[in-house]
Amino acid sequence: MTTNASLTAHDSGLRRLLGRFPFLPALFILAVLLILNGIFEPNSLSFRSLTGLVRTYMALMLLAVAQTYVVYAADIDLSVGAIASLVNVTIIVLMQHMGGGGLSVLAALGVGVLVGLACGLVNGFVVAALRLQAIVATFATSIFFTGLALVILPVAGMPAPTVFWRTYGGSFFGIPFVFYAAATLAILLYLLARTRLATQLLAVGDGQQAAFQSGLPVTAIRIGGYALCGVFAALAAFCITGDTASGDPLVGAKMTLFSVAAVVLGGSALSGGFGTVAGSVIAALIIGLINSLVFFAGTPSHWQNFVQGLAILAALMVGVLVSRRGRA
Amino acid sequence: MTKLKLSGVSKAYGATLALRRGDLELDSGEVHVLIGANGSGKSTLCKIVAGSVRPDAGEVLLDGRAVTVSGPRAAQALGIGIFYQELSLADHRSVAENICLPDLPRQNGLFIDRTALRAEAERYIALFETVAGAALQADTIVGDLRADQRQLVEIMKALATEAPILIFDEPTSALDRAQVDRFFEILRDLKSKGRSIVFISHRMDEIFAIGDRVTVIRDGETVGTTTISETSPDAVIHMMVGEQETLATPQAAPPIHAPSTDIALKVEGLTGAGFHEVSFAVGRGEILGLGGLHGQGQSAILKALFGAVAPRSGEVKLAGERLRIDSPRSAIAQGLAYVSGDRGRDGVISGRPILENVTPIHALRNRLLLARPGRLAEKALPALKALNTKFAGLSHSIGSLSGGNQQKIVIARWLIDKPDILLLDDPTKGIDLSAKADLFALIRELAAEGLAIVLYSSEDAELLNNADRILVFNGGSVSRELSGAERTRYNLYQAAYEAA
Ligand SMILES: Nc1ncnc2c1ncn2[C@@H]1O[C@H](COP(=O)(O)OP(=O)(O)OP(=O)(O)O)[C@@H](O)[C@H]1O
Ligand SMILES: [Mg+2]
Repeated sequence: MTTNASLTAHDSGLRRLLGRFPFLPALFILAVLLILNGIFEPNSLSFRSLTGLVRTYMALMLLAVAQTYVVYAADIDLSVGAIASLVNVTIIVLMQHMGGGGLSVLAALGVGVLVGLACGLVNGFVVAALRLQAIVATFATSIFFTGLALVILPVAGMPAPTVFWRTYGGSFFGIPFVFYAAATLAILLYLLARTRLATQLLAVGDGQQAAFQSGLPVTAIRIGGYALCGVFAALAAFCITGDTASGDPLVGAKMTLFSVAAVVLGGSALSGGFGTVAGSVIAALIIGLINSLVFFAGTPSHWQNFVQGLAILAALMVGVLVSRRGRA
Repeated sequence: MTKLKLSGVSKAYGATLALRRGDLELDSGEVHVLIGANGSGKSTLCKIVAGSVRPDAGEVLLDGRAVTVSGPRAAQALGIGIFYQELSLADHRSVAENICLPDLPRQNGLFIDRTALRAEAERYIALFETVAGAALQADTIVGDLRADQRQLVEIMKALATEAPILIFDEPTSALDRAQVDRFFEILRDLKSKGRSIVFISHRMDEIFAIGDRVTVIRDGETVGTTTISETSPDAVIHMMVGEQETLATPQAAPPIHAPSTDIALKVEGLTGAGFHEVSFAVGRGEILGLGGLHGQGQSAILKALFGAVAPRSGEVKLAGERLRIDSPRSAIAQGLAYVSGDRGRDGVISGRPILENVTPIHALRNRLLLARPGRLAEKALPALKALNTKFAGLSHSIGSLSGGNQQKIVIARWLIDKPDILLLDDPTKGIDLSAKADLFALIRELAAEGLAIVLYSSEDAELLNNADRILVFNGGSVSRELSGAERTRYNLYQAAYEAA
């Protein structure tokens, strides 16, 4: 009897904690993976390796964040990868044309953000204003954006200006650039979480009819979500460009579904109304760590995809089990 | 002075004429009651005023000027606030966010002003402080609240619009007496400040307690408006039903069964979240009532008996055998049935056709692998007819039904294959007077056939008129048992308010 009572008290505590911080299971998995990485390859926990990890997976983190904002409103964006590709080739070509100096890089980045925003607005218009099914409509726009990217840069390989990738891979005052970027991202996400739009997106995700009846401008809010998504996809493209130092019209395609997986792994509900961007960021790191673990564990190369898939499934299951326990 | 005037407003959904000719005149400083049977068009009329439904024809005059209410936002700008019968809450957001959702307070143009949000919400929460229950706080997640508490949040949300015209579409259907009393005090206060209020309820006593005038709607048409002080419940019912004056008046008290020796369900020392050490027995053919204020453990027990929430300790015996309740699935297999008044959460399979909503239990109990719509329809139609359900076609979505008719679908589910034990958790929420009379006639019939019935109702009259015995709950346990001649309104009231 007493043990039972304390058990329920414990459960309801867990439940409250999970309600406030739905990304706790993801954080737990992240810790486990870090330890496992350390066991298989002690070197993988060195400052250098961790910097490398963040540098490589910064793009996925940003794409996961982008995806989270549309998932908030129970929508989905299957074109985030294509948007990232389009922005990647756009800025590469622009920087090349303008000579690759510091100013031209900044100008290209500005244009890149605008391209991302425009793509997001197109998605938002198609899904929210024309009322097409999000999953199919954004699949269609992804083909369209990829087509544009192929027109701008038909073959992969145009290099980025030196100043660009040197900055992304470099250090300032002894701290790697990506950590400044990560800190800026954290502040940005914190501010965005406090905006009216974030709450409104979640309210729309909870029930479109109810949100409409409450007087919320549902169409505008959903378009806003897609616009935010487009901008973050553009930021992700900057990181891809910094990491690969070249243009590739198909570079983002394979990342789209990883971003969806990260959103779910981070504790957000695909049905909308519930989730956090922090969870998505952590989950993107989890996916990165799984990849590096598979590598460090010495998996034969032809088995790597197989093991990677299994590991992601296992991570998803742990997350689901913990949240279900908290909800019961 | 006429604040709002509707004339000849109509609305059709495809072939269904939801509102044929709606007329309404709302004065400043009055509580205007709308009454009519399920599906008569009350909610449709309210939604038209609130801008969430566009009328096909008719005129809306506000302060004497013709206006078009183009949407909920426009309605708010015109000074119209509404309580939606099916609620308009975001389940994962906090109480405070929900109350202020239509107009979240801002700082620096972009960010939500959390302090202002909290302060604003707390003003309205404080109004119901004494009756809302401890869980209702500014930062509670709405999905964690009880049905009556969510209804209170929707009331607060409507009040927070501070609109001169407030529409309440069945705001009291899940509230207990204390909550209704508090709500009425607030309404009277608003009235004295000159606000115009539309109030819908199927409870006759409430209508006469709060209303100044009443407008009756029948089959989508306004039949007439009278002053409450110059009319009587009978006269109103006559206006509601028109020629077909067959409304069964609830009998004063049901035939009192001798306590059945044939025990169907026996509960011993059942303890769980919200109730402790509850013991009772129900005999075959008996209707056992559970009474008391809201949230005293009545719903929690019924949910536990149905296997929806696991109890912590105690024993349940079904016809003498120990019952293993671990899930609703096994409860159904063992002959239990459960009807929840919280249809949005526990009843309706939203977005699916009526047929699918009536037949899931039938399919489960008979392990149907293939659904043959023709066969299922043969089973579903008599059950729907028994409750006088008003619907256009079995293949229409359940969302196209009026609130009360949706609830009838949820009940009809259990009528195809008769269960042994029927657990009713405030089952008549949103059901109109005549349908309610029909439903209880049906429940008594079922009892006469040998079913054991446990009925929780937030409406005293339902318990007094139908239960053979009443267990009054207070603070999670049974504080008193009323049987025979003890079943009076006074005793019920007193037991409910007794300090635990
Ligand atoms: N979205 C919809 N699509 C199709 N039909 C609808 C829709 N909404 C309402 N109706 C129909 O319009 C009629 C009137 O419904 P309404 O909700 O206004 O009734 P009501 O008077 O509020 O009933 P209740 O007392 O049960 O709440 C009903 O027959 C209903 O089936
Ligand atoms: Mg209604």
